[in-house]
Amino acid sequence: MSEKNHRVSRRQFLTYTLTGVGGFMAAGMLAPMVRMALDPALEASGGAEFVSVGLSEDDLSEEPQRVDFNVEIVDGWYTSEQSRSAWVFLYEGEILALSPTCTHLGCTVNFGTNEEYPDQFFCPCHFGRFERDGTNIPGTPPTRPLDVYDVEVRDGMIYLGQINQRG
Amino acid sequence: MKWKEKDAAMYLAEKEYVDTAVIPLMPVTAGKDMQDVVKSGEFIRYFTEYLERQYAGRVYLFPAFTYIKTKQVPEEQLKHWQELLREEGFNHFLFITSDASWRRTSADSFGELFWIPAFSVENMEVQELAKTMEQQVQQLVPLMMDMWQSEEK
Repeated sequence: MSEKNHRVSRRQFLTYTLTGVGGFMAAGMLAPMVRMALDPALEASGGAEFVSVGLSEDDLSEEPQRVDFNVEIVDGWYTSEQSRSAWVFLYEGEILALSPTCTHLGCTVNFGTNEEYPDQFFCPCHFGRFERDGTNIPGTPPTRPLDVYDVEVRDGMIYLGQINQRG
Repeated sequence: MKWKEKDAAMYLAEKEYVDTAVIPLMPVTAGKDMQDVVKSGEFIRYFTEYLERQYAGRVYLFPAFTYIKTKQVPEEQLKHWQELLREEGFNHFLFITSDASWRRTSADSFGELFWIPAFSVENMEVQELAKTMEQQVQQLVPLMMDMWQSEEK
């Protein structure tokens, strides 16, 4: 075979090879940069992870029950576990998980502890009261309903996510 | 509310609602008694933090009143704290300690002295610690409710 029969000349071969290798190198450098630029957009929204509270769907009733669970909190430069609570129950067929933090000044509310209002959430600090669904009762100090957790059911178990403000 | 800038701002805005000062009384020492004193201090810290979380809207948790552990506790100085805070609008004073020396003082006359024996919380998981503190704080709740109700009458 003579050189003229080669389909690819030596010069072309070198050009292709260098372009190919160069391309890979460029791609290798650019990919992380692109990822960095897009990363915030790719992040799952909300940020808060769902945490199991150790209750199954069957454990729930209309009667609010308190669950305690742990979440990881990043505070400044260290991560720590913190215990959280929620009032979980069925309300009009849906699972409702209310945050126990009074929307007035942040005390912890309890369910049914005030004898005169056994069907309400009650805050011992300034006698704030909330309906069963968390709606604040006018005339008591709180000005908005109790916050709600995002609820997810996985394999019959209750998972709680981030806390959302209402009203 | 805690000893934090954010809470202080909130306190100033909502002063009329925050009428109870919680002050941990915390002895300090070094040497052979140190481990015991630290153990008690740690217990009191968790105890008061848990209490603050439950009653955050009405209670201001102050930094611990800290003193060198001797036979004589500095009750005069504590009284100064109380007088200052009273002038600024606090009505109820809750002194929480596991130092038994305070029981022989007049601290109970210018505030409520709550003495509670400490135990080690060193090996507790977060969840267990929260449960334990809940039980411990329950002992204090009737006292606090009485204190608050006596004012409403």
